[in-house]
Order: sequence, then C-alpha cells, then structure tokens
Amino acid sequence: MNLNRIVILARRVAQQLVADKRTLALIIVVPVILLTVAGVLIRVEPSGLTIAVVNQDEGVAFGNQSVNLGDRLTANLQNFELFNTRLMNADEAQHKIEDGELDAVITLPADFSAQVAQTRQLTLNIQFEGSNPTVAERLRNAFEQVGDQALAGLATLQATYLNGGPEFDTLDYTASALIGVFVFLFVFILTSISFLRERLAGTLERLQATPIQPLEIIIGYMLGFLIFGLLQGVITLLYTVFVLNIHYHGNLLNVFVIESLLVVVSVNLGIFLSTFARNEFQVLQFIPLVVVTQVFLGGVLWPIEQMPGWLQPIAYLMPLTHANTALRAIMMTGESLGGVWVQIAALLAIGVAVIGLSARTAGRVRM
Amino acid sequence: MTSPESAKTEPVRIEGVYKKFGKVVALHGLSLTIQRGEIFGVLGPNGAGKSTLIRSIVGLIKPDQGQVWVLDEAMPSKPILSRLGYMTQASALYDDLTVRQNVAFFAGLMGCRDQAKIQAALELVELAHRADSPIRTLSGGMRQRVSLASVLAHEPEIILLDEPTVGVDPQLRAQFWAHFRHLTEQGITIIVSSHVMDEAERCDRLGFIRGGQLLAEGSAESLRKQANKANLEEAFLWFAEQKEMVQ
Repeated sequence: MNLNRIVILARRVAQQLVADKRTLALIIVVPVILLTVAGVLIRVEPSGLTIAVVNQDEGVAFGNQSVNLGDRLTANLQNFELFNTRLMNADEAQHKIEDGELDAVITLPADFSAQVAQTRQLTLNIQFEGSNPTVAERLRNAFEQVGDQALAGLATLQATYLNGGPEFDTLDYTASALIGVFVFLFVFILTSISFLRERLAGTLERLQATPIQPLEIIIGYMLGFLIFGLLQGVITLLYTVFVLNIHYHGNLLNVFVIESLLVVVSVNLGIFLSTFARNEFQVLQFIPLVVVTQVFLGGVLWPIEQMPGWLQPIAYLMPLTHANTALRAIMMTGESLGGVWVQIAALLAIGVAVIGLSARTAGRVRM
Repeated sequence: MTSPESAKTEPVRIEGVYKKFGKVVALHGLSLTIQRGEIFGVLGPNGAGKSTLIRSIVGLIKPDQGQVWVLDEAMPSKPILSRLGYMTQASALYDDLTVRQNVAFFAGLMGCRDQAKIQAALELVELAHRADSPIRTLSGGMRQRVSLASVLAHEPEIILLDEPTVGVDPQLRAQFWAHFRHLTEQGITIIVSSHVMDEAERCDRLGFIRGGQLLAEGSAESLRKQANKANLEEAFLWFAEQKEMVQ
C-alpha cells in the first residue's frame, strides 16, 4: 500500500470533476431542485376543496338549556382554511355533489345532538365525491388534522409524541432519508461512468502497467469522490435545514459519518457494476436496478415494517435501508452514533463486501 | 538519464510463452531475447500476437506456460513496472485533464514527481506551449505525443510502444523515430510493434511474428539476405512460407 499513489489517484479523480463544470453543478443543483419540489408537494395545503354541511340537527335539551352540537360543529368547520365549507339543504347538496361541484358532503341528522348525548360517541356521516382518489385522500387527511379542533368544546384530544413532535411532518421524515439517497445516487452514477470510461479509453490498462495496486485504485477513487459526496451532503443539509426548515434534533456531524459510509459503498458498487457494462447506456440501466429499488424498498417512502415478510430480508441487504434508518434516527430523535451502531455495522459489512468485489474487477482489464 | 546498473543480463527475456484466449492461441511457445540499448521491432500482420506479446512483457497478461523476465524480475511484477514505460495502441489519456495533468499523473504513479522532468518530457514532444490545454482540444497527433511524453517523463529503462505511429503523419513519425534513436543512445531499450514494413528498417533488430510464433529474428539487412529478397515484405512472406512447409 503506497499512500503517494493513492493521493495521486484521488487528486486526479477530483481534478476530472473540477474540470467537468456541468457535472459539478449538477451534483449540487439537482438535489436542491428535487428537495424543493418534494418540500412543496409534501407541505402543500389542501386548498380548492369544497365541502357542504347539511345541518338538520334539532339539538337536545340538556338540563334547562338546549344544546345544538350541529351548529357548533358547523361554525367550527367554517373557520378552517383547509377547505371551503358551504351550508345547504340535503337536496341541493345531493344535486351539487353529483355535478362534481362538491368534494364531500357532511350530513348532520336531526337527532345528531341527541345521539351524541345518548351514546357519548360522535359519528360523522361523510359522503365523498370519490372520482379522484387523491382528493378523497387529501380530505380524509384534512379531517384528521382538524378533527380535534373541529370538535373543540365537544371533545379534547390528548396527544403526546415519543419522538419528533407536532412540529415534525412528512417532509422531515422524507428529507432526512433523501439526503442519503442523493449522495448514494450521484456517487454511484459518477463512479460507474468514470470507471467505465477508464476501461474504454484504455487508461485502466495503463494504470495496470504502473506499480499501483487494485486496492490503491479503489481507495483513491473513494477519497476523490468522498470530497464531493460530502460537499453535496453539506449543501443539501444546509438547504434542508435553513431553507426548507426541516426540523432536527441530532448532531449534524453524525450525518456525515453515515454519508461517508454510503460513499464507500456507492463507489465500490459503481466500480463493480461498471464491469458489466460495455457503454454508458448500459451503465445507466443499472440506475433503476440499484437506486430506484433501494428507494422503494429502503424505507424512504414506505416503512419496512409494513412490507410483506418475504421482502423485508431483501430490504435489509440494501445499504440505503440502513443509511435511512440511521439518518432518521440522528435527525429526528437525536441519536448518537452509538445509538445507530447496528446500522453503522451493517453499512461497514456491506462496504467490506463490495470493496472485495470491486478490488477483483479493478485488477482486470478485460470485460 | 540514469545508467541502469542492476540488470547485468539482457533486459527482456521471453522463454517459451504460450497464451490462449478461449479457443484462440495468441502466443504459441514464443521465445525472444532483447538486448540493452537496442530498438527491437516486433513485426507482423494484425492478429499475429504483437499486442499480446507486449502486454505479457508488461505483465498485463500472465502466460499459460513459459516465463517472461524483465530486468531479471519474473513477470508479472508490480514494483518493476516503475522502470518501464508502456504506450498503448490508442492514446489512453484523460480527456478532461490538461496535457500537464495527464503527464504528471502517469509519471507520479511511476514514482516521479519532479516537475522539471515532466517539463522536459513536454519539451521533448514539443508540447510545452500546450501544457495547460485539455486533451479534448488536441489533434490526434498531439494526443499521441502527449501519450509518448507520459511514458518518458519518469525516465524508464525499457520502453514498450504498441504501434505508436498508427494514425500519425509522416513528419511526426520521423520525429518519433528521432526521439527513439536519441533515447537508445542513453542506454534505454525500446521495443516497438508495427505492421508497417518501412518502419522496420529503422529498428536495430526485428522479430517476424505470425500466428503467435516467431518466424525469424535479426537485423533488416540479415533477414533480407537470409530470404534472398529485395525488401522486408517479401522476406516476411518467404519466412512465413518456410514455416508452413515445415509444419
């Protein structure tokens, strides 16, 4: 092992990226654009939704005073900005929902208050227009969000959070994982393509006619891309924390430890898989295979615990699964590195395995 | 340049090398010895095994049988490679990097980080004025010259050139050969492969190769005489016929 040669190779990898200004810009700009889009979509307010309330409640006598829960609920609903609430009679509501002018109708029957008083349970009768499932979904979410507030005075919701808190939302959950996805994706693309070029241009053959060892080549590549992987990590992290206002609890430096491990895995996977490609098009075909499957299965969008049992072992073989878990734990619950040692150990094990694979291929000239 | 002392014997010895790729026999028990300070030309048609021979000298290929010795070291051997210079057929360079970055990179891997030597190599191939140009802005001939400079900068004792003048114009080709001659005067050994017979005339000794076998070796003059032919091309064909008759 010769440190000089490793540094020379790492410097060359860095020089190539610096010379390629467009790719350099891409590494920084694309994650920022994607995070912004994700932020806008995830934090969007369900506006443009219209619901009708058909209030037929006649109230109930409660001691010597009459209570009309229907009126109070309607008044509360009208205060929400999440959707437009209109009052109308049953016929009009039926007519308009059939015309598609309404997204949902809430009907409060004549004995609404009486029923609540009798059963001590509150049942809301909601009819969704339903032709667009996403609208219905947004409405359901909106009702859940406003549920406790709409029923203020009728019932109280006592909510406590073990992790996160009411200020944490889906974006916090998604963005902490996306930071890992971006580093993995870009380092994988860059390594696999630059190593393929190394092979095609014949420079790999020339490298092998120098005293540099395959392992030195790989370490040089890792160091070279680590600089840019971490640079990207810093920028995406600053952007998510200060511009997108992502909430975090943990020590952000721990994020970089996880990202460095991801870079190691990604570089070696890129080198290894580039062996199986004869041109750039074929390398690109590995992206859905390697990156998209990991986004689907790695717990970025759907929790692994909710996957079918046979899929879960596959998910745990993927580096992004462990990186996502660790990044979320660090950012959302403020875990220390010791608290995510299982994920770190898993990433290290995967790293050693892929280094073994890539060292074998880096030593070979021919495909 | 440093005078090589370590190797008292011939710098390159090839002993009964046999190499098969799948079903194709690339080298068929080939033996050859290269003398210090000579330009040895490996001559033969495409597919004769020239590149395989040169690659096995550099240690990129491990023969199935036989042994290659370079500077008294059994190949493949990584450490000895810093005393070799290997120029591949196509100019293998990094397109985004500048001329100087490319030359410095390969020299660096060979253990040479002396900027003066890198500059000297650039001047030798007359590219010092383009030192900071990216490779992609250079013509094919210029790339070949960068390739040569990146092989020379660390002052190797043996230089292997795989068809260095393919696609190079006559004027540049003449310059290359002048460089080669200049290098051998300093005790450097050059092995060059070619399928162009008129280039062969410039070598000190030649090896005719066909079907992975050595047909004949000697100076151009002696080979012509032996075959009793007026030019090398006819001599090559004569040796090839002789070989077929024996088999």
